[in-house]
Amino acid sequence: MNDIFPEVAFRLLGIPVRNTVVNTWIVMALLTGLAALIGRRMPTGLEMLVDFLDDLLSELLERRADPFLPLLGSLAIFIASANIIGVVPYLEPPTGDVNTPIALAVIVFFSVHYYGIREMGLFDYLRSLASPVFLLPLEIISQVSRTISLAVRLFGNILSAEIIVAVLFALAPLFVPLPLQGFSIFTGLLQAYIFTALAAVYIAAGLEQPFETEQENTDSPTN
Amino acid sequence: MAEMDPGTLITIITIVVSGIGMVLGAIAPAIAEGRAVEKALESIARQPDSAGDLRTTLLIAMALLESTAIYVLLVILILLFANPLLDRFF
Repeated sequence: MNDIFPEVAFRLLGIPVRNTVVNTWIVMALLTGLAALIGRRMPTGLEMLVDFLDDLLSELLERRADPFLPLLGSLAIFIASANIIGVVPYLEPPTGDVNTPIALAVIVFFSVHYYGIREMGLFDYLRSLASPVFLLPLEIISQVSRTISLAVRLFGNILSAEIIVAVLFALAPLFVPLPLQGFSIFTGLLQAYIFTALAAVYIAAGLEQPFETEQENTDSPTN
Repeated sequence: MAEMDPGTLITIITIVVSGIGMVLGAIAPAIAEGRAVEKALESIARQPDSAGDLRTTLLIAMALLESTAIYVLLVILILLFANPLLDRFF
């Protein structure tokens, strides 16, 4: 059962490096190599991928997805490949370690505020957070709790799939866990989509103008 | 039972509670997701044009619903593999 949980692979200058971190590096190297290879041999493949992500994200964001495509697209590609890499023997999915999803969720948390401030300016963004002032504590709680739930959802789904496969493998090796292994690929892709979709929804919610300024915008003829 | 040391007792209670808790924690989200899918399918049957929008919303809603089961799973995993109460006895 201990195989499921990350172990310290080696120590780098006294800092313990877990094997999930090594797997993250493997995923990064694979993605970079594949991107370079496909970009040289058939660039249309990469264009198709970018177009697909662009369509998906602009539908979710309900605006042009160009400014958000680097962040959200890389999130989608990285999480999808990180989830799928657990199928390879001896490799654990990096997202099955609680630290990776928390890091990704913290990135999403800060980018929501970054894009919100860039869209409206610092003062207007803070005012939009506290549009009725008494709702500010609820807003802060929801910001924090949705970040936690974003991380825990990804982690729990991937880890539970790993545990189910490991338990079945201990009971009846080789062929019985195969259907569930296939199901874990499906779950991994779905979770990558859901993580990206929720990140897009949160960013789009952070970009929304508060009610009063919306009315001001519609009143003014220039806008 | 009288001679049982507290570590064993906590382990037994943890295992029993984990089983019961996971069952109860899986039932509620399953019912909720079933209702969500039911309504979505009804709406798609009534208005097939809205299938695209509904699918996106449904997937996100299902993810949010399912996270309740994931929270239960997380608590149970902590209880089973990293029980903070057991550290007091071992």
